[in-house]
Amino acid sequence: MPDIEVHGLTKTFGRVMAVRDLSFTAPAGKVTGLLGPNGSGKTTTLRIALGLVRPTAGEALIGGVRYGRLTRPRRVVGAMLESTGFHPGRRARDHLRVRAAADGIPPRRVDEVLGLAGLGAAARRPVRQFSLGMRQRLGLAAAMLGDPQVLILDEPANGLDPAGIAWLRGTLRDLAREGRTIVVASHVLGEVTRTVDHVVIVSAGELRFAGPLSDIGETHAALESAFLNLTAAPN
Amino acid sequence: MQSMIRSEFRKLTTVRAPWLLLAAGPLLVVAGITGLAESGGNVHDPGTQRAAFAHTGLAAVFTLVFGILAVAGEYRHSTITDTYLSSPRRGRVVGAKLTVYALAGAVAGLASSGAALATTAAWWAARGGHLHLSAADAWLTLGGGVAANCALAAIGVGLGALIRNPAAAIATALAWFALIEGIAGQLLGPALARWLPFYATEALSRSSLSATARLLPQWGGALMLLAYTAAFAAAAVFTTLRRDVT
Repeated sequence: MPDIEVHGLTKTFGRVMAVRDLSFTAPAGKVTGLLGPNGSGKTTTLRIALGLVRPTAGEALIGGVRYGRLTRPRRVVGAMLESTGFHPGRRARDHLRVRAAADGIPPRRVDEVLGLAGLGAAARRPVRQFSLGMRQRLGLAAAMLGDPQVLILDEPANGLDPAGIAWLRGTLRDLAREGRTIVVASHVLGEVTRTVDHVVIVSAGELRFAGPLSDIGETHAALESAFLNLTAAPN
Repeated sequence: MQSMIRSEFRKLTTVRAPWLLLAAGPLLVVAGITGLAESGGNVHDPGTQRAAFAHTGLAAVFTLVFGILAVAGEYRHSTITDTYLSSPRRGRVVGAKLTVYALAGAVAGLASSGAALATTAAWWAARGGHLHLSAADAWLTLGGGVAANCALAAIGVGLGALIRNPAAAIATALAWFALIEGIAGQLLGPALARWLPFYATEALSRSSLSATARLLPQWGGALMLLAYTAAFAAAAVFTTLRRDVT
């Protein structure tokens, strides 16, 4: 299974430097938490890894190649980004059928992931009727559609109810145990300590820490105090 | 590419808006021909019959908007992220959309031409005239109208890719057709004006809204619209579509 490697990544938007010479590896078989305060460059990093944003310098590789060079990208990488949109008038199942057609995925997989995400009963409702949590579940179902070796998720727990969070945690743990590579960007630390093995902490676009969670402590309190120290402004 | 085309078709068939837009064409045609007959059009004059059939080309204003929404609508709903994740080569996305929307535009044009034929036949029968369908002129007018519907859908795709905000893209297109091209045409003079997109559409669909303009021959109008489609799509692929999707 492929690792995700980020080498010397830099991205500027106008005068703002969103990511600054960032390097880290998210190893296969682990859940890597990409942590950082709001505006620390997490989402930009993930978007670069997915080929949606062009880096100013450096690169992000998935199994040694850039996303844009993957021949069947959705079979390798599943992604859920905060701004991934749905057409409000399209039914949930149809949203996934559109994707399945684009990615050459058999139609029965659509119903399979709808079931996995607990959306079987809502499959024929238009997305405009969905709550935030249901949209999130649909986004996760879409990310898993291609049975990918790599999952890249931006704030996946957003809006999920406690049952949804428990389901997400169990699913990610299982997928990592199968050897897949999972990256989860988040700023909700409480959930992170229960899900991730490996932590990458960024602040102001720069790397502050990368290593096993056990190196900074596996309790919420320990992670929180390490996080606050590492991401505090330098003065 | 094939899978992208299939996916684009599925996008079209799973929402309602494009079908409402495409249904508007035949309605416009029926209303327009009814207006022509009611306002004293002479049903014994072959010129009136051609004017009635030429309404098919007018319906292309709807396929233009339909095409614009193909790309700009995806930016509006942020579904473009998903589309580019499935096909990181963005030029191919535009290629698939051009194929699918040109085809859907042609189908809409066929529906409009059918409506034009039926409505004209009904009014002409009611007024004691009879249709002249043996002349090549009738079929060139109807066929040109279908081609105009197809071409403007494709131009819309290019335009929507170039101006990714749907409201801005539609406003620009409609302002151009209703206002700007007329003024530009006067400034350029008739010899140059006929190369402009709206005049080229008139030439293709054999509608003569601006009777004073010297239009290109029908095939010339078709070639010009093809050139505009290619120009817009290429401009989009090399400019706006390369931008970061955030």
